[in-house]
Amino acid sequence: MNYETYFPEQRHLLPLTIFRRDRLLPVDATGGIEVARGDRVDLHTVVARGAVQAPFTIVEAARQLRLRRPEQLDDLLHVHVGDPVQQGELLAGKNGRRKRGVRSPITGTVVHIGDGRVILQEVGENMVVEAGVNGHVVDIRRGRGALVEGIGAVLQGVWGNNSRATGTLRLEPSDGFGRISREALDSPYHNAIVVTRRPLSQSTLQVVHEQELLGVIAPSIEPELMNDALSSSAAILLTEGFGSQRMSTFSYSFLSNLEGRQATLDGIQPGVLEARRPEVIVNVPLQSGERPPAPRNDLTLHTDMQVRVTRGNFAGNIGQIIGLLNNPIVLDNGLRVHVAQVYLVTGETLYVPLENLEVFG
Amino acid sequence: MAENRTGSILAVDFGNVHTRAVLIDLVDGTYRPVGYGEVMTTSSFPHGDVSVGLERALRQISRGTGRQLLRSDHTVLSPELPDRSGVDSFLVTTSIGRPMRTVMIGLTRAMSVDSAFRAVAGTYVQVVETITLEDDRDESAQINAIILSRPDLFFLVGGTEGGAQTTLLQLAKRAVLAMRLMADDRRRLVLFAGNSEAIPQIRELFSPYAIVLTAENVRPSLEQEQPAQASAQLASAYDSVAEQRGAGFDRAAAGSALGVLPTAQSYSLIARYLAQVQGSALALDVGSAVSTLSAAIGHHSATTIRNDIGLGHSAATLLEASGFDRVRRWLPFVVDDNELLAFALNKTLRPGTLPESLRELYLVHALMRAGVEMLVQTARPLWTDEANSSPDAALPPFRMIVGAGAVFANTGRPGMSAMLLLDALQPVGMSELLLDGNALIPALGALARVQQEAFVQLLDAGGIIPLGTCFSVSGQPRAGKPALRVRITLPNGEIVKQEVPGGTLWVYPLGLGVRALIDVRTVGRGVTIGGKRKFRREVTGGTAGIIFDARGRPLPLALTPAERAGQMPAWYAQATGDEPRLIDPEWLQAAPAKKDTGQAEAAPKKGRQKRRPATSEKELEVEQRAKEVQAKKVRKQFSSGEPDQGDAQNGDQQAKDEVDELRNLFS
Repeated sequence: MNYETYFPEQRHLLPLTIFRRDRLLPVDATGGIEVARGDRVDLHTVVARGAVQAPFTIVEAARQLRLRRPEQLDDLLHVHVGDPVQQGELLAGKNGRRKRGVRSPITGTVVHIGDGRVILQEVGENMVVEAGVNGHVVDIRRGRGALVEGIGAVLQGVWGNNSRATGTLRLEPSDGFGRISREALDSPYHNAIVVTRRPLSQSTLQVVHEQELLGVIAPSIEPELMNDALSSSAAILLTEGFGSQRMSTFSYSFLSNLEGRQATLDGIQPGVLEARRPEVIVNVPLQSGERPPAPRNDLTLHTDMQVRVTRGNFAGNIGQIIGLLNNPIVLDNGLRVHVAQVYLVTGETLYVPLENLEVFG
Repeated sequence: MAENRTGSILAVDFGNVHTRAVLIDLVDGTYRPVGYGEVMTTSSFPHGDVSVGLERALRQISRGTGRQLLRSDHTVLSPELPDRSGVDSFLVTTSIGRPMRTVMIGLTRAMSVDSAFRAVAGTYVQVVETITLEDDRDESAQINAIILSRPDLFFLVGGTEGGAQTTLLQLAKRAVLAMRLMADDRRRLVLFAGNSEAIPQIRELFSPYAIVLTAENVRPSLEQEQPAQASAQLASAYDSVAEQRGAGFDRAAAGSALGVLPTAQSYSLIARYLAQVQGSALALDVGSAVSTLSAAIGHHSATTIRNDIGLGHSAATLLEASGFDRVRRWLPFVVDDNELLAFALNKTLRPGTLPESLRELYLVHALMRAGVEMLVQTARPLWTDEANSSPDAALPPFRMIVGAGAVFANTGRPGMSAMLLLDALQPVGMSELLLDGNALIPALGALARVQQEAFVQLLDAGGIIPLGTCFSVSGQPRAGKPALRVRITLPNGEIVKQEVPGGTLWVYPLGLGVRALIDVRTVGRGVTIGGKRKFRREVTGGTAGIIFDARGRPLPLALTPAERAGQMPAWYAQATGDEPRLIDPEWLQAAPAKKDTGQAEAAPKKGRQKRRPATSEKELEVEQRAKEVQAKKVRKQFSSGEPDQGDAQNGDQQAKDEVDELRNLFS
């Protein structure tokens, strides 16, 4: 793979673009769609409502009633499929002979009756999926949710804690995260998603918890704090990765320009089967009729292109490609690979394997 | 399938990181690869569609060959047209995504279920639930377990041929009930490979809810086992599930002769073919998410797949599975758990990236070596009894060893690739090392099903790159003392003599295809090459040359990072011919203990955070204990998959208590 045929990893950092995002129930949930194609949605419009599949309980009713044949149960049933039942409620039995009745061991719903058995399902945990952006529905995902199109700024990160929040984007106070307080009625940190340039620490997470922040955008976190981040009530987005990297000036400036706007932080946790990226989306008002370009997803590398280095001693640095070599070179570590010559904003020039470059388009 | 000697064949493999396409055609009556394309796989953001990558790869081939391969609707043009556009055959393999979530149902674990596990070993299957008669859960619990495991496939086995069916059918009814209660209306797959007399009843039970596949009974009698047909049916099932999975597979595989085949079966096929020719073979693929090891000894073969071993998407699970110390023993510097875990996690976040610094290179290679050790441990019980006499014994001799995956193929240094294979597998005796540098094996595996002639011709024509022959010393030769005396007689009559000291590698650069006569003698007590003290062979050179590995078996890795800092750079240098890349002495210092820097303190600009070093032994002990507690906590989270908030909080509290206790003790 040389540079002519190489399509680098892209991570959005777009001040104004058209985006389309699926808003879906989890795969183990069932429910209904609350919007239709073409509907306008705002941040809090409920797109889908559902419940996670709850456990089943099999009640051997015919056996408990000592019936000779399972069909005999039909005449003794007090419930039908679909009926809600309370724990202890009579499911089947002869009228007037309460002691011989079969009672429900759980509160739930009757989902199946047959072969002398009544199958009950517990009540599942309800959940709603909100649009999280201002836009309109462009497609319906049957049984799962909808595809929503919107216009705004998008910044993608590398890791999230599986949580989503919508709130006002705020930068951390100049004298440190510890100064955040939402006690004052006019505190800007009410319902805030806070941006910090520093790695998340135990004390930062503590402040997030105590001040009930909705979300945090940080560059990195030490892996030993990952559990704490995963169990945090706030949505978390990392822009760089694990360790102690600081946020690049590029990303920080980008977010600074959006301070005070309503943002949706989608802290998607990456995985081998996860096609989505953790990201923050900020709706930006437009003049009527204005339509920004959609992201270009077919960028190849070229000189003067702005890139981010993703590995090595300069990981997280932003630079510009000043040369693309036709033949592979031997790196300091002995590998022989195709590289680009990158001039960093910090003044260094280095050779970076093509695979270790990210573009922002 | 009837074999036609047709023309062009396009084989595409979708890996988790790379999509590779190869165009094969008849050149002077012989099948040859005539074009390659390799791009990043596009199954994830922003495309979520593998067909985008396919199109890019085919455009690369078109650019190189001038042949049009795509229709205007972006599907593969087939059959080939008189103007040479299009291809006659189109084959697709993949290792992308998750394995098939499979519920195994059988009568007894020790019999049919055991055989069923061997049948699934050769494909991307994750057994998410096992239901047997020995299962002491009640029926509700079993059904809930099945439903919560969200299976793609039910694999039913049990009953010897002609035996009773009642119990088997009772278990089957349990599966049917679970299917009926599942929330989604997806038609699942059922593979039945039990008592064949039960097939009609099984079909009747499952047909309203599932697609039913059948195969020969995996355990027709107590003594007999026949997992092969079930294994082949699992490949068909995988194809069906892969298509259901989305990510554009339906579009990408449109027109494919055999649907979507699992890549792993190709490694099995290559190992079996090479073993037929050379007696024994091992094919190792270390991927981003999945690793595969296929061993073939004579007519016996076994394939093992580990979905938790990989150097990209699965780097963190590899670390979890192997343990930190197993990785650390392959590193020539000091590294704490936190750095190792951060490195592995960052690899999972950006799986396609390459090691850029020396430290990163050692970390990736250490993960690979530790992962392959685990893979071999898992695989060996499936090998022949003789080959698996003792799990601690050296590997049995394998005549052919094939390495695949970016960690071997993308070094750009054949010597380094060869050394990595030697380190990871530690073969004994004389072995031919081969490298699947163009990722041709997945294509070959698919090709073998439709065009065996092309398969054989491509393999014989060097479709897989020969790295060279390796003579590996068994025993523990004395470091620095002669372990091998080598005499190489070149085709022009020139003679090269060399003494190879113990603990070192020596590579003679015998060019690709050049033949030479090798005389090699071992020196020292207990030092042999596969049990022999003298060896005389005519060998053919490879891209690395001829390799004499006098380091001994098991590989005498030094016990301390400081000693390994002298040892390992030397091995890399000997394998590549480069000057040794010395280890920075600072890397041999124990990582300083750290504290929460809070907000007043800014993190350093790059590299690891600098902290006040612990000054006393007591402090060091406290910090070390604290780190262990934290690491244990993180490992626990990895092993449990998803975090349990309650557990996490309890764990936190427990960890804090333990650390506080220690601090109190030393204050």
